Amino acid sequence: MQLLYLALALFLLLNLGAGMWRVLRGPTAADRMLAAQLFGTTAVAILLLLAQANTNAALRDVALVFALLAAMTAVAFVRRAWPNQEANHKPK
Amino acid sequence: MTLLTWVFDSLLGLSLLWLAWRALACPDLFKAIVLFVAFGLLMALAWVRLAAPDVALAEAAIGAGLTGALLMAALAKLHPTEAHDDFTVPPEKNVTKVWSWQWLPAVAILLVTTGLGYVVLSLPPYAAGLSTEVAANLAISGASNPVTAVLLNFRGYDTLLEIVVLLLALLGVWSLNSASLDRKAAPGIVLDTLARLLTPIFILVAAYLLWVGAHAPGGAFQAGAVLGAAGVLLLLAGWRPRAGLMALPLRLVLVTGPATFVIVAVLTLLMKGQMLEYPPTQAGVLILILETAATVSIGVTLAALFLGGDPRKNNRNKNQT
Repeated sequence: MQLLYLALALFLLLNLGAGMWRVLRGPTAADRMLAAQLFGTTAVAILLLLAQANTNAALRDVALVFALLAAMTAVAFVRRAWPNQEANHKPK
Repeated sequence: MTLLTWVFDSLLGLSLLWLAWRALACPDLFKAIVLFVAFGLLMALAWVRLAAPDVALAEAAIGAGLTGALLMAALAKLHPTEAHDDFTVPPEKNVTKVWSWQWLPAVAILLVTTGLGYVVLSLPPYAAGLSTEVAANLAISGASNPVTAVLLNFRGYDTLLEIVVLLLALLGVWSLNSASLDRKAAPGIVLDTLARLLTPIFILVAAYLLWVGAHAPGGAFQAGAVLGAAGVLLLLAGWRPRAGLMALPLRLVLVTGPATFVIVAVLTLLMKGQMLEYPPTQAGVLILILETAATVSIGVTLAALFLGGDPRKNNRNKNQT
């Protein structure tokens, strides 16, 4: 069972590599941001798998904090670094 | 199975190096921020693999929640009007002029790197460090988590100074800029609902991390970072505290952590003759009090850092005009 958890964690880590391609290629800022969000979700999954594989319950707390805070960067992005879009969508 | 962990670890290490290089070398600042956030995620995984869940927790709370938001806000301040897809650093005009001096820091860095490499290589291959001594004195420390015992008891003055450093950082930001307390435009129903749903959960998780720190990974810094993230989320959602709260109440909350630490340090100095040496029977309670005060101060300091300026200065200017 431990082997399966580790193999899945490795598979997810490889997935991160695929996501990295999207960060580098873009083309828009939103593409890169969403790839970073995908990283957050994947990291949560990897942490949960490692928690099971190592029977270390503290890692679930790390996963919990990641899951809660992953959205912060995206919210900051939408509110601060995406000003033109916001202005365009606002009714005049 | 050892092969699997070996592949996992080497892939993780290589991705970290590659991400760090890309984040530094990338001329597009937005891309660099995204790469840095991804670096933080992988760094937390690396700490987990190094069996340091406490550090992983701190990296998760600060790297995922706060650094990304802070950098994003800073980027927006750098490029207030430009198109959102063009965050590229403008090319330097006098590159050739700068180039002639670039070898100087390069030589300095090379010397430091060589020295550090020599020290690392000359270290004994295995050293127990202080972990056996920490384990031997854990019973009288007031916490069963060795990391908390070291941070809050054995090396409490380190933590005291770290909290003061945070306060100094905020004073630096305040001296540079003033922040507007005007309400921002309505954020829209999605962000508003998200902030309303998440803020209580953030506070609950912060309290949990604070409490769990006594016997498992967690503690004041992690809890404070989650609390700070709640403040950042509220600020992003357009919420602003009343101006009256910004003067004395904010300052009082900001100094609660350092002040509690200093009071305990002075009391223990007077009573036991040694700074921050707690009586073993009261150590647990003292650590909890210190950590609670520190958590609140750290959380509010981080949120105030995100506000990006002295909120009172702005009011003063407004009154004058």
